[in-house]
Parts: sequence; C-alpha cells; structure tokens
Amino acid sequence: MFNYNLQLALKSLKDRPALTFLTILTIAIGLGLYTTIKTMSYQGGQVPLAHKSKNIFLVQMDNREITAEEVTHQSRLVDTTYKDTLNLLAMELPGVEQTLNWYTYGILNVEDENINPVRATASVTSSNFFTMFEPPFLYGNGWDKATENNAEGVIVISKLMNDKLFGGRNSVGENVRIGTNVLQIIGVLDVWHLSRKFYDRGFSSGRPDNFFIPYTYAIANELPRIAGFDCWQADADIARSFRNENTQRLLNSECAWVTFWAEIPDEQIENYQQQLNNYIEGQKALGRFPREILTYVTNLDDQFSYINGRNDFMNVFSIISTLFFAVCLLNAVGIMLAKFMRRTKEVSLRRALGAKKKTIIAQHIIEVVIIGFLGGLLGIFVAYLGLQGMMNIQIYSSDYTRRLEDLQPLFALDFTMIAKAFITGISCTLIASIYPIWRLCNTPPASQLKSQ
Amino acid sequence: MLRMENVSKIYRTDLVETHALRKVDLHIKAGEFVSVTGPSGSGKTTFLNLAGALETFEEGDYFLDGQNVKGLSDDKLSEIRNQKIGFIFQSFNLLPDLPLFDNVDVPLRYRGMSAKERKERIEHALETVGLASRMKHLPTQLSGGQQQRVAIARAIAGEPKFLLADEPTGNLDSLMAQQVMELLEDINSKGTTIIMVTHDDQLARRAHRNIQIFDGQVSDIEKAVANDVIRSA
Repeated sequence: MFNYNLQLALKSLKDRPALTFLTILTIAIGLGLYTTIKTMSYQGGQVPLAHKSKNIFLVQMDNREITAEEVTHQSRLVDTTYKDTLNLLAMELPGVEQTLNWYTYGILNVEDENINPVRATASVTSSNFFTMFEPPFLYGNGWDKATENNAEGVIVISKLMNDKLFGGRNSVGENVRIGTNVLQIIGVLDVWHLSRKFYDRGFSSGRPDNFFIPYTYAIANELPRIAGFDCWQADADIARSFRNENTQRLLNSECAWVTFWAEIPDEQIENYQQQLNNYIEGQKALGRFPREILTYVTNLDDQFSYINGRNDFMNVFSIISTLFFAVCLLNAVGIMLAKFMRRTKEVSLRRALGAKKKTIIAQHIIEVVIIGFLGGLLGIFVAYLGLQGMMNIQIYSSDYTRRLEDLQPLFALDFTMIAKAFITGISCTLIASIYPIWRLCNTPPASQLKSQ
Repeated sequence: MLRMENVSKIYRTDLVETHALRKVDLHIKAGEFVSVTGPSGSGKTTFLNLAGALETFEEGDYFLDGQNVKGLSDDKLSEIRNQKIGFIFQSFNLLPDLPLFDNVDVPLRYRGMSAKERKERIEHALETVGLASRMKHLPTQLSGGQQQRVAIARAIAGEPKFLLADEPTGNLDSLMAQQVMELLEDINSKGTTIIMVTHDDQLARRAHRNIQIFDGQVSDIEKAVANDVIRSA
C-alpha cells in the first residue's frame, strides 16, 4: 500500500506542477529566511573555547568610590586597575593562569617602501593570552614570560597584517615599525574563528585583532591606550588624557581600565574566589576598596548566555523570521487546502471503493512529506543565498579589517542547521497539512458521487 | 442476503429534520436483480447509499450477507464496501487521468492483492465488458457507453456479491443503455445480486423484481402482488 500511496502522491505532485511549485516555494522562502536568521544567531552565539569555556573567567572587583551607584550584574561593573592587575598576576595558585587585555593602535611600517603603512588597532596583553585563549598560529608563536619581563619589543601579527605587509610569507624574525618603535615579529596568527571577540568585553564579531604586544613593552614605550577609564573623583577630570599621556599617574591611580582574565581549574574556583576576597580585605587596610566587597568571577558560558539573551538585533530578527515563516506556512495551508479540496470527488470515490480513512491520510501525508522535503531542500538553498547576502552586506559595510575568511564561520550552514532546517521544513509542513487533510478525509464518501 | 428491518434515515440541520427513509423493511435474496424506482427526491439514492454502506442510519438493522452493518466502524464499512459491493454510478465516476487498467485497479489495490492477481482480474474484467484492447486508454478517449462499461469492469473485478447501480444508463443513449443493461443481466446470470436505481420503467421491468420508493417509504411490488393474490384467494 505504501508504494501505491507513493505513486499517487508523486502523480499528484506532477499533475499540478504550478501549485506544487508554489507550495514548495512558499515553504522554502519562509524556511530559508528562518534558517538564515537562526544560523546567524546560532553561529554568532557559539561559546568560544567550548572545551574549557566554563573555566575561563572574567575577573572583576568593585574598587569604586563609596558614592558610586550600586551594581547588580557583572556586565555593569568596571574593569580592573593596573595595580590590582599586577597584584593578581603575582598571586600564584596551582593550575591557575591569568592574563590581561587593553587596546592600543598604531601605524605599522615595514622596510619595503613599496608596501603602504597600515593603521591598525591591537591588543596589549600578557604571554598567558596565547596559552589561555589558544589562537591558532600560522608561523612562530607567542612570547614567553622572560621576554615579557624584559619588556622586549616583540609582536605577534594577524594573518591579515601578514598578508598586507609581507604578502603572506613567513615573516617571523622580520621587523615592523610602529612610530619610532621597532618590534620583531615572533608569531603570525592564522584565521582565528571567534563567534565574538570576548576578551576585550566588546563581543564584536568577525573582527580579529591586527597585532598583539606585551603589556610591559606598551607601558615602557607609552603606546596609546584605547580604554574606558573609570576613575575616582580625584582623577576623573584627567581621565581622557590617560589615553596618550600621564602614564605613571594612571598606573598608580584607582582608575579601572584593564580587562582581567583567569583560567581556573574546577577544584580551584572556590579557592580563587577566597583569595580575591582576602586580597580585597588586605587592600581595604590601605584605604582602597571602600565599598562592601563585591567581586564577579564570571565564566565564558555565563557571559555568552547573557550576551546572547540581550542580542536585541538577532532576537528581533528571530521573531520576525519566525512570524514570516508562520505566514508562509499559513499560505501553504491555503494552497494545500485548495489543492486537496479539488480532490474531494476522487477521495469520495476511493472511499466508496474501499479505501480506509487512514489509507487516504497516509497517501496525503506522503505527499506532504515530499513537499516538506523539497521545501526543506530549496529552503536550505535559499538560506545559503541569504547567508551569503548577509555576509556580503557585512563585508561591504565594514572596513578592511573584516575579511570573508574571518566572517565565513559566522554565516556557515553546518550539518546541525541543515538537519534542523529539514526537520523544521517537514514537521511544519506536516502541521500545516493537518487541517487540509482532516477536511479532505472527513468528506462523506457518498457526498460527491452523485454530482456530474 | 440483504435484509433491512425498520431502517430509517433522517438528515438533520439546525432547523429542519428530513426523513429520507422511513422504517424500511426489505429482503433481497442472493442472485436477485432488483430495480428501484420512484420520483426524484423520493429517497432512492439514500436507499442505495445505505445499502452500499456509504452512509450510516439512525434506526433499525441492516444485515448484509448475514452481518449487521449497524454501528460498524468506518474501517469495517470500508472493508465491506471493498470486498462485498461493486458500485456503478450514473456519471461513471472514472478517474480521468488514469488509464482504464488503473481505474479498474483502484478497488483491488485497497484489497491488498498481489500484482499478478490484480493483473489477471483486471484483464478478465475488461475482457468481460469488451474493452481489453483499450486498457491503456484514458477514459476521455472513450464514448459514454464505453466509460460505463469500464465502471462495470471496475465494479466486478473484485467479484463482489452485490452490484449497486445508481441510474447506470441515465447518461447514455438508448442503444448504449441497451448494451449496458445486457451486460448487467449477463453478470446477474452468473450469480451476482444487482440492485439498480432507475427512472426508466422499461429497464425496471427487466429486473426480477421492482421496489418503489415514495417519500422515503418503500413498497415492495412483488410482496404487494403476492399479498393481493393471497387476499383474492
């Protein structure tokens, strides 16, 4: 009976190709847009470093003045002061690694005069950055602690910079100049697929850092700082100047501006929290941390959960795409209803000749599953086009630091999304067909047989 | 073989109740050829629909081939229609986009027969109605009389015990009607019980027995004649 029902279903699809195509197209367009947005949301919301994301923590301590506003969520709390950063780095706990991050910028020059200088933003960080966050290296590697302690002029550049300045060749050992500072390249990163650049707390997507410099070198050579300086009243007036000057005052100030990270094994998490509290207690004796103790040690999973939940752009588009898909399905219901109800006479006849209700239902479910399958297939193609379109829009609306190879993973249809699209396509088409099939099967067998 | 006892059929809407059939008592024996006549709207088609298990009824009992049809599930009624009844309709009711072979195949498919057995039965049925050479044709390529013969082939392919024909010659000219009638008589002569609704008194008289329906009430002419004979004696 399955074969017979399959034959009838295929015949029905072939008999009215325009209606069949319209139904499939309606489902495909709705599903395509839905899958496009869901894929962007899914890929953009992936937590980086999945194998250890629950052990990578942003560390925050509330060293604000007593008059500062109360904070109830880690996202609202300021970063860390430079002196606290150094103190925490000095705190040694077994298995715990820590790093820091702030931004700088500069114009990168190479000796070859045919190569135009490139202005770029960059991360200032510590040697642990590379072991904790595991960026992939194309050539060379990161710097070590000794190099960092000596504030040596070394630099890790991105693949983009390497392509622009050295034509993509292995540039390790070569020099680049930033202003009057000459730095030796010790590593070149490969394309680093981060759904969101989390380590600066900016959570931007598809925009990798262009180069990385040891924080000791950046301080010693007074490289400019791009940061929000949350200062106590005494320094508030000159906070903006800390971007380019007053380095020593900044380092000794109570201004919070350094993003501080720790990788903490499960068994040390409680201990780490305790050490933080002990540290704050100790600092209180020095007149610091005037407020009640407040710390946040927040892992990547929790941060992404919060960020994904507050991604209004994606959330709104997600709702719109779902509604659009629902409208498309309603249209499909209408088309299928029209198509199926044209068949009432045939169904009446088949029922009179002995077809059971469930046989008629099975015949139409097979037809609907085929429609859903084809709708899913075409929908995936529509989604592919949609994702390519969205990616190109983002490329064209951005500067040279965004390249296709960096953005591609954020717009990639992977197996999970393809499987979801198929299941969604078929199951939603089935749901949409319930009413038309129900109407058709409840046509009394005798009702249509007398008509001419 | 077919026995109705006090069978009533009422169509209800919010405002109106229509008694389509009223307390029908009827017994049709195996192998009979019964014609059913009556004016339009008298309930002939309703009677045929009940006899063919196409509709349910509210009151009474209906025994078909010894089995009480009342209260049977929809699936069971489908099985009865498929295995015991062959239908012939005034407007032929062939599926226009299927060749004759596939049209005749429809009830056999729902009986779950093997492909070989279905092929044999279809070829035999089409041979019986004289259309074996046309089995790949579409219904639209045939005349009205030929289409009705295909419908008869479809009805007899499953070798049902009953043939229910609803004005089978209503859409045919007299010559073709004659041919179809001869075909039905031939089928009946081989033992199939036939109940035929018709407006044509001449055709009705060719049946073994005539049942008349007026305003939902059945009068069995044979029974009435027999009673008259008994009374006059």
